[in-house]
Amino acid sequence: MQQVITESKKAFMTGNETAAWAALASGADVMFGYPITPQNEIMHYWTRLAPQYGRGFLQTEDEISAGFTVCGAVQSGKKAFTATAGPGNVLMQEPFGMAEGMRLPLLAIIQQRGGPSSGTVIYSQQEVALTTFGGNGEGWRIVYSTATHQEIYDYVIKGFNTAWKYRFPTFILGDGYQAKMREPLEMYDPETRGIKMVDTYPLIGLDGSITNAEREPQHLCNIYSLEEELYDVVLKNTAEYESISPEIVEYEERQCEDAEIIILSHGVVARAADDAVKALRAQGIKAGYFRPITLRPYPEKQLRAAIARSGAKKLLIAESAYGQFYRLTRQEIYGETIPMETLFMPGVGIIDYDIISKVKSIL
Amino acid sequence: MALVKIALAGEGGQGVQSVAEIIAEAAYNEEKQTIYIPNFGLEQRGGVSIAFIQVSDERIGAPKFNKADVVIALSERAVGRTAHYSDENTLFVYDSGFKVDENDLPRQAKKIIGLPAIDTANKELHPRVFNIIIMGAVIGLTNIVDFEAAKKALENKLGYKFEKNPDLRELNFKALELGKQMAEESLKEGGQ
Repeated sequence: MQQVITESKKAFMTGNETAAWAALASGADVMFGYPITPQNEIMHYWTRLAPQYGRGFLQTEDEISAGFTVCGAVQSGKKAFTATAGPGNVLMQEPFGMAEGMRLPLLAIIQQRGGPSSGTVIYSQQEVALTTFGGNGEGWRIVYSTATHQEIYDYVIKGFNTAWKYRFPTFILGDGYQAKMREPLEMYDPETRGIKMVDTYPLIGLDGSITNAEREPQHLCNIYSLEEELYDVVLKNTAEYESISPEIVEYEERQCEDAEIIILSHGVVARAADDAVKALRAQGIKAGYFRPITLRPYPEKQLRAAIARSGAKKLLIAESAYGQFYRLTRQEIYGETIPMETLFMPGVGIIDYDIISKVKSIL
Repeated sequence: MALVKIALAGEGGQGVQSVAEIIAEAAYNEEKQTIYIPNFGLEQRGGVSIAFIQVSDERIGAPKFNKADVVIALSERAVGRTAHYSDENTLFVYDSGFKVDENDLPRQAKKIIGLPAIDTANKELHPRVFNIIIMGAVIGLTNIVDFEAAKKALENKLGYKFEKNPDLRELNFKALELGKQMAEESLKEGGQ
């Protein structure tokens, strides 16, 4: 495959453009998609770039189809991905569920917009519940919540590898702000950074005859005849998901050691939280910063440890949704007695000022 | 350089977003931390278009902001639409040719400035470079980018048009220069 980026280079572009370049640099073979704001430009840039590098694209009739075509492509051994948002993410839950059930290594980039329904075309963090636990399964998904364009680039590359190494559907959870804003980043070829891209391989149609016992049959099922069959599969996959989780979990923690209050946020809001912690510290208020990068699996042990180590009196959860990240966190750290305060600003941006004001009102 | 926050607002087709993009690219080319984000809601389809620009030497946090250092309203209705981005530290700029209801102007501003950008574009240059005059004004008011860097960014963006018609280059650079001067003059004048 033709090398896309020969030398590392700085760039100033939108998050959507970044995602398209990262998919190219990752060696993605094909994208399937259906237009929806604010992810459209991922498709636009991909369709512009893909032919130059011999990659494929198909616009399907809707998001359900886009998701299923990705499910099909990865079974043939193609590194395939899609991108969507809002109601499109709702429609894709059916194929994402299939990917969980059949352990298909698909990658989906989600640029959250306001909800419910068509909501706004702009921004939110309201697709957390949907992206982590959507579908009629147990949430065997890996979800990276990015905060910067550099992270979009880094985690698209990492996401393909995670998907193909562990064979769980993997998500890059961005938002409309990250999608549309321009900021600097560095683009690079993964191999030059010592990142080995995981080889893809066909999951079906393999060489060798099953009848002559030359190989084991491939059982890629999304439906079972017996309750007990499904039961065994769910237990096995759950155990596998749990066993790999410690390797996958990622988070950022700053200044929690002596913190009186820990500010918990994810995604683009973490940028405001980081600024808020700096400003509060400058004013003599001992604030700490904790940010899960993976929302699934959640850095539950690390957050519990940060709370214990700091002896913080309060946790403040800030999110551009009305409690989706809060509920996710609460279930993950069940049993902790630290009081949880909340700053819910559904569908609108959060700036450092909002967090600083909230902290001062509750300390 | 401390963080500078700019909100540019106008009607669709006035070139608000193009100018914002050129300014942001110029700042990026000067190795500054830069974020530019347009509003892109349904209001953009027939409403006021706003560009949010932030430039700093330090890493920049949230992509949007509540209060700007400079607000530039490029249409009459953009004035009322952007007044809430202004506080006691804000330079609030609009075109002196607008008929603006006093109630639409911000309650708080460091200074409210009327610039004859539309008139200057129409009489001295060409209506199409109105947005470039405004770009010059942004530079005059904030110094967020070096004047030469701004010219270079303009060249990068419009070079293909300049190649076809070198007079356009002259026209755009002149508009940039006039805008800058206009803004610098306005800062020297006392009061509003």
